Amino acid sequence: MVLARAHAFTIDLLQTRHVGVEVDVRAGLPAFTIVGLADAAVREARERINAAIRNSGFEFPARRITANLAPGGFPKSGPGLDLALACAVLAASGQIPQAALEQCALFGELALDGSVRPSRGTLAVAEATRRAGLPRLLLAGSRAHEAQMIGGLEVAVVERLSSAVRVLSGGAPDPLPRPRVSRGKGSSTPAKTLPAVDLGEVRGQPHAVRALVIAAAGAHSCLLSGPPGVGKTMLAHRLPSILPPLTRSEAIAVAQLHSAAGESIEELCAARPFRAPHHSITAAGLIGGARRGWVGEVALAHNGVLFLDELSEFARPTLEALRQPLEDGRVAIVRGGHSAVHPTRFMLVAATNPCPCGHGGEGERCSCSEAAIARYRRRLSGPLLDRIDLLATLHRGSDGENTPALTSAQARNEVLAARERQRRRLRGEGVAVNAQMDARMLSEHVRLDARGEEMLRRAHEWGLLSARGQARVLRVARTIADLDGSSRVRARDVGAALALRPDVAVAEAPAA
Amino acid sequence: MSEQNAPEPDACVECRRRSWLLAALSASLDFSAADRPRLNSLLALDDTALIDALAGRRRAELQAGYEAFEAGEPSGMAGESICRHCTAFPRMLVDDPGLPWLLNISGAEGRERLAAGDPMVAIVGSRRASDYGVEMASSVARGVAASGMGVVSALGAGVAAASLAGTLEVDGGAVAVMSSGLGVSPTTGLRALYRGLLRSGCVVAELPDDCPGRRWGMVASERIVAGLADVVVVVEAEDKPTDLAVALVGQSLGRCVAAMPGRVTSPLSRGTHMLLRDGAQLVRGAEDVLELLYTRGESARSTPRLAAVADASAAALEPRLAAVLERVGAGRDTPDSLTGEGADGDEVLCALSELELLGLLARGEGGRYVPREPWG
Repeated sequence: MVLARAHAFTIDLLQTRHVGVEVDVRAGLPAFTIVGLADAAVREARERINAAIRNSGFEFPARRITANLAPGGFPKSGPGLDLALACAVLAASGQIPQAALEQCALFGELALDGSVRPSRGTLAVAEATRRAGLPRLLLAGSRAHEAQMIGGLEVAVVERLSSAVRVLSGGAPDPLPRPRVSRGKGSSTPAKTLPAVDLGEVRGQPHAVRALVIAAAGAHSCLLSGPPGVGKTMLAHRLPSILPPLTRSEAIAVAQLHSAAGESIEELCAARPFRAPHHSITAAGLIGGARRGWVGEVALAHNGVLFLDELSEFARPTLEALRQPLEDGRVAIVRGGHSAVHPTRFMLVAATNPCPCGHGGEGERCSCSEAAIARYRRRLSGPLLDRIDLLATLHRGSDGENTPALTSAQARNEVLAARERQRRRLRGEGVAVNAQMDARMLSEHVRLDARGEEMLRRAHEWGLLSARGQARVLRVARTIADLDGSSRVRARDVGAALALRPDVAVAEAPAA
Repeated sequence: MSEQNAPEPDACVECRRRSWLLAALSASLDFSAADRPRLNSLLALDDTALIDALAGRRRAELQAGYEAFEAGEPSGMAGESICRHCTAFPRMLVDDPGLPWLLNISGAEGRERLAAGDPMVAIVGSRRASDYGVEMASSVARGVAASGMGVVSALGAGVAAASLAGTLEVDGGAVAVMSSGLGVSPTTGLRALYRGLLRSGCVVAELPDDCPGRRWGMVASERIVAGLADVVVVVEAEDKPTDLAVALVGQSLGRCVAAMPGRVTSPLSRGTHMLLRDGAQLVRGAEDVLELLYTRGESARSTPRLAAVADASAAALEPRLAAVLERVGAGRDTPDSLTGEGADGDEVLCALSELELLGLLARGEGGRYVPREPWG
């Protein structure tokens, strides 16, 4: 046998693409060439494969070896092709039966001693293997749990190249490593390490807590505004604890995105992702596509929460880039002739100070000039604020000693009940939460009484609400009614939603 | 330099020459901007004495320009000029030599209003007013303007801008005094107001149209504001000369000075409270201002007709709304401080929104609610 074929996958932006690995071995001066738009990591595979084959006790053919990665039209990246290349070389030199390679996909990076290392994007590769109709996937043990989440696929663990040869020759795979104890909390790196937090730890601020519960119940985007130290960040970090758990299909979507971003996924996690990027993040870091296969924070927050602390410190282009993901629930990235679409249905929570010094609205403590405040507001105003449903203002000295604190469990039950009501009402509409209702659904599901209509009309006339603002108030009012278990939206729901409206962005002085 | 003045037939050459002289001496006058008494005494000098006092080395050049002065081409601004020798010149400005000799006027209904001698109320105060100050200035201005009186203030930020904007809202007679020439556009934040004033109010200045604003111009405009007014109402002022100047000038001109109280703990009330302690009249709203005008026996031509909406809507308020409004007025201005005591959070939020829609409350900075007087 001088020609061998193997199946492998590479991750191109977020798409996982099949790569046919063809190896040809013939007489000539010893050489190893890889063709087919391989990147640096793949080209370096030559040295790893050579050493790994020799160190595993096999023979590296001292002949002229040509490896082709088909189709040749798109660039292949990453070291995940090592295992497939090595096995194809062994098959071409007659050390493995070629037939065995036809029925399986190989995924993993080789170490010089012949051991197999896990590679980024295991879950996506497993999913692609199943879709390609291949019954078997060989990969490193530490990520095998991830691949096993995709049903209908035989996952064979190979810890070393020699194990792969044994499996392909009809032997048994290596045992599955014991899963580590599940931490079960969040699926973003920071949230995992956070201790379990509870809403009950927040002292006072009943208004903001109520706003957060409303936001969680309807998946509304929410802006927390208040002076430093009143607990904006603390409150936001407790949001995941009152959100409903992920459904299985949501969890798989989340796991795929996180796996593509290089995180190790051991089991499907029920907790919603909570992403809190620092404000120095670039637009590409937030949206994705900073480099090949880079998944942005908006995609990692899919089905979860994207928390932007110190909103006014984010660069303007970064915030502008959020518009499409917020509006469409997906982001299309085009880089170098390739495009990828990532789902981005997240709940936006932002925190900001009311003015540059942070003490705006605290009477005399604010030392900002009118111009400085106007400048600050302009940075926030505009398209992004227009997509925020709820404004919760926090105040100093709102200790609320006499009000009992709401615990996460209580709040979560309220949220779950409200979500269930929304789900039942919106069945067949293709959306599950009030925040996603469009104009048609609003007119169908949100009927106001005369007093509510009158309030909304007046607010619009007085310039307190834009047309889009009216729709936002209706959505929030619907959620408040859902939280109260009311099937109708009453005037008091509209009134409360109005009091939670974000400010209309004012461009210039009055009397324009 | 002489073509800086518009050759309106109304203002005489002498008065326009004085305006030219002030513009020519603008840089020298600016040295006295911080010293109000000195600036006011300089502005009270006649032309020759003014040249003697300030010209210095430029004396010969100025003297030559002064003597060669003649009314030139009209400048770009579509305004008109009146001087003390015109019948249309406001009578209020004639009684003191320190007050200007010439006014350039621009705006839709400027000249008639000034000439008619309608009673005028100056509403002045801090440039850094709080939400409370802005709401109060605007509601007093609306009430006063709706009763047919003019509102005058400097074209500046804070209380002044709020009172002028409030006057324009009810289509009242707003008169803004500029510290520069009329042709110089004000700062960005005031431009919309400036355009509104040109459309339906009026703007006046004593300097030639293209003379840029300087610090002394600001100080000099204070005396015009005080001079034009029958009553000077101070809404929120800190205890410093810039905030209190109009009141002090008004006092020296014999105008009635009134102040609106605030919280004693707020630095923005220190100036107003000091005025009150020193004998200024206390006003709580537009009605008190009207009362002041009539007890002074001046110009009882127009009958006070304060918008009746205020009483009507406040009286007809549901008890739950009235209770919330009262507590906001007492300083419980956040939803959190209003909740508690068994009140439901959503109910309070709804009441706040309803009061806001009735125009009795406004949501201010940082989400705090401020009581206001209704209109419309």
